[in-house]
Amino acid sequence: MKRRGVYPFTAIVGQEDMKLSLILNVINPALGGVLIKGEKGTAKSTAVRALAELLPAMETVKGCRFHCDPLQENFLCDDCTAKFHSGELKETETLKMRVVELPVSATEDRVVGTLDVEYAIKHGEKKFEPGLLAQANRNILYVDEINLLDDHVVDVLLDAAAMGVNTVEREGVSYSHPARFVLVGTMNPEEGDIRPQLLDRFALSVTVTGEHDRGNRKEVIKRRLAYEADPEGFIASYQKEQEELADKIAAAGELLPEVTVPDVMLDKVADLAIDLGVDGHRSDITMIKTAMTMAAFRGSREVNTEDLKIAARLALPHRMRRRPFEDGTLDMEKVLATLEG
Amino acid sequence: MSDYFKCYPFVAVAGQEQAKRAILIALVNHKAGGLLISGVTGTAKSVLVRGAAELSGDRKLLNLPLNVTEDMLFGSIDLEYAVTQGERRFEPGLLGRADGNIIYIDEVNLLRPELLTAVLDINMAGENRVERDGISFVHKTEYTVIGTMDPHEGVLPNHLLDRFGLFVETENLKEKEQRKEIMQRLLDFAKDATAFRAKYKKETEQLRAQIAKARELLSEVEIGDAMMELAVQYCSQAFCAGHRADLYLLETAKAIAALAGRTYILPKDMEEAALYVLPHRMRKPPEPQPEEQPPQEEPEDMEELSDQEDDDMDSDDSQENLMPPPPPDNDTDNHDEDKPNQEEDNQEPPEQDPQNNSNQEDKVDGIDMHFPFPKMVLDMGKDQIKRKGSGKRSLTKTDLKQGRYVRAELPKEKVNDLAFDATIRAAAPYQRHRPKNDCAINIQQADLRQRVREKRIGTTFLFLVDASGSMGAQERMKAVKGAIFAMLQEAYQKRDKVGMIAFRRKAAEELLPITRSVDLAQKRLAELPTGGKTPLAEGLAQAFITLDMQIRKEPDTEPVLVLVTDGRANSVVQEGEDPVESAMKLAKQIHKAKITSIVIDTETDFIKLGVARQVAAEMGANYYKLKQLSQGDILHIIRNLGI
Repeated sequence: MKRRGVYPFTAIVGQEDMKLSLILNVINPALGGVLIKGEKGTAKSTAVRALAELLPAMETVKGCRFHCDPLQENFLCDDCTAKFHSGELKETETLKMRVVELPVSATEDRVVGTLDVEYAIKHGEKKFEPGLLAQANRNILYVDEINLLDDHVVDVLLDAAAMGVNTVEREGVSYSHPARFVLVGTMNPEEGDIRPQLLDRFALSVTVTGEHDRGNRKEVIKRRLAYEADPEGFIASYQKEQEELADKIAAAGELLPEVTVPDVMLDKVADLAIDLGVDGHRSDITMIKTAMTMAAFRGSREVNTEDLKIAARLALPHRMRRRPFEDGTLDMEKVLATLEG
Repeated sequence: MSDYFKCYPFVAVAGQEQAKRAILIALVNHKAGGLLISGVTGTAKSVLVRGAAELSGDRKLLNLPLNVTEDMLFGSIDLEYAVTQGERRFEPGLLGRADGNIIYIDEVNLLRPELLTAVLDINMAGENRVERDGISFVHKTEYTVIGTMDPHEGVLPNHLLDRFGLFVETENLKEKEQRKEIMQRLLDFAKDATAFRAKYKKETEQLRAQIAKARELLSEVEIGDAMMELAVQYCSQAFCAGHRADLYLLETAKAIAALAGRTYILPKDMEEAALYVLPHRMRKPPEPQPEEQPPQEEPEDMEELSDQEDDDMDSDDSQENLMPPPPPDNDTDNHDEDKPNQEEDNQEPPEQDPQNNSNQEDKVDGIDMHFPFPKMVLDMGKDQIKRKGSGKRSLTKTDLKQGRYVRAELPKEKVNDLAFDATIRAAAPYQRHRPKNDCAINIQQADLRQRVREKRIGTTFLFLVDASGSMGAQERMKAVKGAIFAMLQEAYQKRDKVGMIAFRRKAAEELLPITRSVDLAQKRLAELPTGGKTPLAEGLAQAFITLDMQIRKEPDTEPVLVLVTDGRANSVVQEGEDPVESAMKLAKQIHKAKITSIVIDTETDFIKLGVARQVAAEMGANYYKLKQLSQGDILHIIRNLGI
């Protein structure tokens, strides 16, 4: 059976914030991921899976199980580090960044990796068998229904997300390897909350709702029907848009290192953080990084107030301290006023 | 992988002077008892610790992951040696490799408490005794433990806090200029890490040299009588339990003196030491009794803990069990001074169902094996699902194939969750004498080991509330609603779920399905209808069905029924039945299903019928009688349930 093509990202109607937050994370994998909240049937999973088509290619060390980046000497796995020091780190290959899915039912050993039992029995030696976190290095790690994930798996994700390293001390193997991934989670808040610490690890969060505009709703149905009737034809009709977006993302990725932040923009972010009384400094840094990525996406080398506004909308709402019985509310008008001021 | 930790320079962290200082002390003197850093997210906790790695000279920073298995922590049989030589040899675990090094535990408050206790106690004892996998071995080890935690994810119990010598909190900087500086430095670092690190190289070198010098000087620092007296004074003022605090104070002061290049301690060193040593062990003055706190010295702890091992592991063979002490949660209470005094009034002893094998839901699970497994009898029989409500609040051994694999044991019945690693280890020493079929390891029945898993489980609280027209219905509903919200707020820590059923008129209505979602509770409990008659039996029936379904869905959950009523049962669905009698029948059924229950009786009428009390007796419930019900009362009762 031929695998049906994925619904094109650019064919998703509306949901602009969701699409933007995903794109920003692709442009800047160091941004810190996105949590997409929303009811069923709001194209959350479709969007994440569709994203795969737009992902850029990346240079990797040839044959490395963790697709190490040959240019990032600080983030190499043990094998690549050894090669680096002996000057053998030469052969590279180009791989496409991809979406690695972590199913809610995944067991911890599959996530972090474990003892290669087959090898142990055949050869009487211990060898590490990499898990999903190894696959996820430099890729997107997608967890659908992340709020339903088992606690101990969440702990592992938190650890890896915080350190960028997966440390395994279990089942006879002691091993660590780089695990820097873009964490993308989707959840339906009605099915339970997400642990605050995990929430905080997400740079951005967006809430999606069904389209309320009648015209848009009709468009959603129309496109879906067209896609189901003739997937290939439908995908082909979006080919051009898809390519344009992919190019724009790639260009933004190249521009990103050159983006600068004027001092006055830092002032605004600091003012805002103090105004809102946010916990810690992660929100400041996330806002700045998001704004920089936004500037790159616009094709600009300098962050402006508009970038900050968008960054505030995507990076702040889930960081507002929740008091009992309050939704994490954020007075967006006040935020915008502070940023203008 | 040490390269990974050569990241953001320690000296480039803006602010956090106290935390930095505490880390220096811990690096200089491991006898200061390890360091616990507490702070909300994004306050540079782990950046500081990782940055400290390059200040520590030739010592390594070993990361202790939360999912560490016991064989890897304590050490185990050397597999490869056993296979090739046919002899058992000890292979050190993380605690062995940590000798002379630093152990870093991120989110230390989420580590299994018995492991944390072992890590800290073994360090104090200076040696690690291993009895597992057919290996009996003792080795010396001394290390520095640094843990970081976010207090929002749950706090450490006092007896674990005490075991850390030093404690410090990271702060949330509020100055605008500081915040800007932090952002600017991080941006610079992100742009060009190498250049950034070069900028701070000199400062880093200086600090490293200062630490190295202090470490040399440390043994020469003298502790005078006066300082000893001062330590004792500080500790008694702070009502510290035990004598650890005094020693930690002096060791910390020694480190401070050594860092200043002195070989003598000044009173100001002691003052500074107190900042780090005392805050987490200050207690309220003891009440009437004279201080009869047992000194918590390590020998005693070890004894006490290993005594418990036998009780807790309910395993007939100690070979596969690890040595230090998993005293699951029942030991916590002994130490926990903060435990609220239980209200003894009106309270029958809690009824527990220690072992409930009655749930015969069978489950057949596939096994994830994609490789040819030579000669192994893998009987994938049916799992016996057990729900152990052994009174552990948050962690429980689970017989489902879920949860964290913590250790392996000899199978008591058929193996249904094979511990591959332990099985191979068990088989390894015999390989020289067993026939091979193209495999290095030939596994036989006797080698098979079963996984022991632990899962953080929660309790499912189902509130069954009388919403009939009798007096106080509104108050009852409001109080319960308030309690539900409060419980859901902390649900992410305790994994609790909450549901609510109201009964009035002729029916029981599910107001809130069993959930962990605050969102949903907000939506569903916006309105609380009251009025009408009291179909108590109908309510009980509905509650029973709901909880029964929940148990089937999540066999590891601990169900608790909380009935809030004034007990004036006066309505039935079927004509002709006696409302009180049918309620009693259902109460008995609930008792039989071993559902823990609580009855909160709000009967206020002058002539008391006492129906609620009878229902409670039939259900085997904890019974409380309250004239006025508040959210606080409900929470208090639930927290004292001891689940």
